[in-house]
Amino acid sequence: MEKALKPKKKRNALRDTVGDKIFYTINAIFLGLVALIVLYPLYFIVIASISNTDAVLGGKVILYPVDINFDGYARILEHTEIWRGYLNTLIYTGLTVVLALLVTIPAGWALSRKTLPGKKLFMIFFIIPMFFGGGLIPFYNVMNSLGLINSMWAIILPSILSVWNLFMCKTFFESSIPGGLIEAAKIDGAGQWRTFGSVVIPLSKAVIAVMALYYAVGQWNSYFSAMIFLQDEEKYPLQLVLKEILIASESTVGGSGETMLEQFRLANQLKYVSVIASSLPVLCLYPFVQKYFAQGVMIGSLKE
Amino acid sequence: MDAATGTLKAPVLKKPGNSASRRLRNFKENAPFLLMILPAVVVVFLFCYLPIYGVLIAFQDFMPGDEILSENTIWVGFDNFTRFFNDPQFWPLMKNTFLICIFGFIIGFPLPILIALTLNALKSKKVGKSLQTIFTAPHFISLVVLVGMLQLFFGSDGLLASIAAHFGGSYKSLFLKDSAFRPLYILSSNWQDFGWSAIIYIAALSNVDPQQHEAAILDGASRFQRVIHVDLPAIMPMISVMLIMSIGGLMGVGYEKALLMQTDGNLHTSELVSTYVYKQGLTGIPDQAYAAAIGLFNSVINVVLLIIANTTSKKFSENSLW
Amino acid sequence: MSEVILKDLKKVYDNKVTAVHDVNLTIQDKEFIVLVGPSGCGKSTTLRMVAGLEEISDGELYIDGRLVNEVAPKDRDIAMVFQNYALYPHMTVYDNMAFALKLRKVKKADIDKKVREVAEILDITQYLKRKPKALSGGQRQRVAIGRAMVRDPKVFLMDEPLSNLDAKLRNQMRAEIIKLRSRINTTFMYVTHDQTEAMTLGDRIVIMKDGFVNQIGTPQEVFNRPVNLFVAGFIGMPVMNFFDGCKLLLENGKYFAEIRGVKFELDEFQQKALKQNGVKPCDIVAGIRPQHVTVGSGDLTATIEVSEMMGSEYNIHARSGEDEVVMLIPTVDLTTDVSIGRNIRFTTKPGLIQLFDKATGNNLIWYDADSAANNAPVCKRYD
Repeated sequence: MEKALKPKKKRNALRDTVGDKIFYTINAIFLGLVALIVLYPLYFIVIASISNTDAVLGGKVILYPVDINFDGYARILEHTEIWRGYLNTLIYTGLTVVLALLVTIPAGWALSRKTLPGKKLFMIFFIIPMFFGGGLIPFYNVMNSLGLINSMWAIILPSILSVWNLFMCKTFFESSIPGGLIEAAKIDGAGQWRTFGSVVIPLSKAVIAVMALYYAVGQWNSYFSAMIFLQDEEKYPLQLVLKEILIASESTVGGSGETMLEQFRLANQLKYVSVIASSLPVLCLYPFVQKYFAQGVMIGSLKE
Repeated sequence: MDAATGTLKAPVLKKPGNSASRRLRNFKENAPFLLMILPAVVVVFLFCYLPIYGVLIAFQDFMPGDEILSENTIWVGFDNFTRFFNDPQFWPLMKNTFLICIFGFIIGFPLPILIALTLNALKSKKVGKSLQTIFTAPHFISLVVLVGMLQLFFGSDGLLASIAAHFGGSYKSLFLKDSAFRPLYILSSNWQDFGWSAIIYIAALSNVDPQQHEAAILDGASRFQRVIHVDLPAIMPMISVMLIMSIGGLMGVGYEKALLMQTDGNLHTSELVSTYVYKQGLTGIPDQAYAAAIGLFNSVINVVLLIIANTTSKKFSENSLW
Repeated sequence: MSEVILKDLKKVYDNKVTAVHDVNLTIQDKEFIVLVGPSGCGKSTTLRMVAGLEEISDGELYIDGRLVNEVAPKDRDIAMVFQNYALYPHMTVYDNMAFALKLRKVKKADIDKKVREVAEILDITQYLKRKPKALSGGQRQRVAIGRAMVRDPKVFLMDEPLSNLDAKLRNQMRAEIIKLRSRINTTFMYVTHDQTEAMTLGDRIVIMKDGFVNQIGTPQEVFNRPVNLFVAGFIGMPVMNFFDGCKLLLENGKYFAEIRGVKFELDEFQQKALKQNGVKPCDIVAGIRPQHVTVGSGDLTATIEVSEMMGSEYNIHARSGEDEVVMLIPTVDLTTDVSIGRNIRFTTKPGLIQLFDKATGNNLIWYDADSAANNAPVCKRYD
């Protein structure tokens, strides 16, 4: 057996044909270009955020930072709305994740059991919303009649269950929890709750992590429900604050006074900095949890 | 044998067949599952089914504050729908929505497949992994930040404007041009999501049996030929499933990103069915019944497209969603 | 006393497929019974009904005199060893073994004592702190057995416990199970598809096919007195040779078996049994075990097609007309040329020929209609 592994090295050392060499080269160049297209915008935001605003506005910052300074970062520290938005988003995201896990994981487990009474009905119940919805207006009216307008629960509660995630959980439980373990627990005398708590949950860390991340990223990045449901600015999540900062209405071009210009310069730098400040947590976290995300996509794909 | 059973005490239950008591016992044993699923049912009921019920207003003369079903309800049948069909915005909306979806599909569907195949064909698996990490990163940028970045590059004070100014040229923000909306929208969406969409194919490719490649090498296949004859067939089932899903979503473009990108300058191309629903129903003087009707119309189109796609796929291959 | 009685036990699935037909079986206290048969024969389903993992569709199941059809698995006083061990991967070996006791609210000190005691017996004390992942297949197997042992069950159920091990380890563990059995002295119900395991482990063997019990008997009985063609073909390695198109003849009050035109006068016991059963001359399938073929003389002929040198013996596959005949020739007294293409002569002792009714496949001597009708077929007794 061990001997069989050895030729692997040798195979790598096999000389490629000319055609293969050309293929590999073209392939590498292509992917390199794609990487450049992905990375440059991100890189530019970073160098622009630490460059002199005038240089940025003058089109001098393209490949490297000019006049490195951290004024923008200093200024964002004083920008109370951003930090309030940050805090709000943290709260909303935290609550969403906790509630979502409490709702999604047990439901996914129950749905994965053949012995769930009325399983077929439940399946249909959950599948229909995947393909058909009432639409924005009826949704808004429901939230209105539930008295959730201008409440943070309006953006939390509807996001604590994604039917896609639910089915992903179900598939995970079906494919990754060996039936024998559940039977062993049954013979050992564990009831359904005990089995779920002592056997299933400890074995489901991967799917719990994936779910937590999916729900967290979703809530962290969403702005729309906050925009239509929240009225008080103190409740605005980060994305909504960012929207005010970043997405200036293009049609209203301001006057040209001295202070206006200065304000415009400051605002411009703040944009770059706030993009970084808001995206950094997710982007930093992501490489570490990447394998879980990929796993999640795969679990989902098994659904069919 | 019979003697042995004869010595037993009289059994309590003589015929423990499919009795009601057995069913009750089964139910008791499995009742916890119902409790586990209950919260999810409540959430879906509240936020998915109540709105589906609420869509009835599309067939009513409905004012905000009205009850959906009461004796005062004024049913108007399909009036709201006919009104939409006669709306001068109808054809532009359909066209905008359809075009953004179809162009998005033409670019966005094959791109992840291409990326997955090329990544998989890289010689160094390590480089492949790093590239995959890089390609996936933009997926985690929020829409607000993405559109903000677009403005920083292509807006009136963005990078392109600055460069143009630097060289003394004139520049008009791409956000104010009708012609620029679609490319901007589609390319930025692809920039953000091609890596993420590729994951599913990459994972499928990693499951290809290396012996298949080895057999192909022995048969004299070049690396490129192996991509075509080994890798591509391996992800074909996945491709069909994704194809069905994309066709189902062909008219389903959301309002989130379009709303952020909309300006007075690009409204001719950026007004989509979904953004129109939002504006009609929730801004200005809301006309909820009308907006709900438009939304329902759009949902129905999507369901129909999905069914057509699925049936077609079922007919021509064994791949289907149901 | 932990007798297990299966009375007309039946499993019908929702789709009306009957997986197990009216099994009748009385397992004596401390008996080691093995359920064996090809996959899909219903042996696992039967075991799982005893365990309480499958609903019993019909019939009665008694453990220790108590009807347990409607009793939850945990209250049946059984323990089970699963095919893939089903150890909780997130728990240490100790916790795996203690889990059932914890659920029964046994005192901590008692749990500790019991787990250590069992671990000592199974020689896994040094692994108690480890997780199953860090154990080899054989060690996991022991933990799985240990988990069942700590409960002191009345009945020990084992569902193909050795089938996930490689051949060498399987032999080793088989020996250990035999040793273990003498130590813990309880009733065993063991499912396997491997007839060697069945023969070596079982006090009695239950041979199943398509949901029906074909024969219940000791290893000697099922080997020497198979009640039908299926049992004859299933038990024994290499597989029994069957000669189709043979005849049972009755001439001058004597029974003869005619194989390929060669007449064998049956021995005294066979004559008596056939007479007692009132067997009339008929078409039969004759069965001769490879071990019982004598090569080098006799009137039957065959052409050698494959000759396998197995070390202590040659395994010869030869063709005799329509049939392939397998014969074992010990290498020590090999006087015949066994190279491929050779024609050889062979014969057997008439008393070793098994006679199967061609029409029914039942053994003309050993098939017992009464016990078969009772769905608990045993070989026929003669006094």
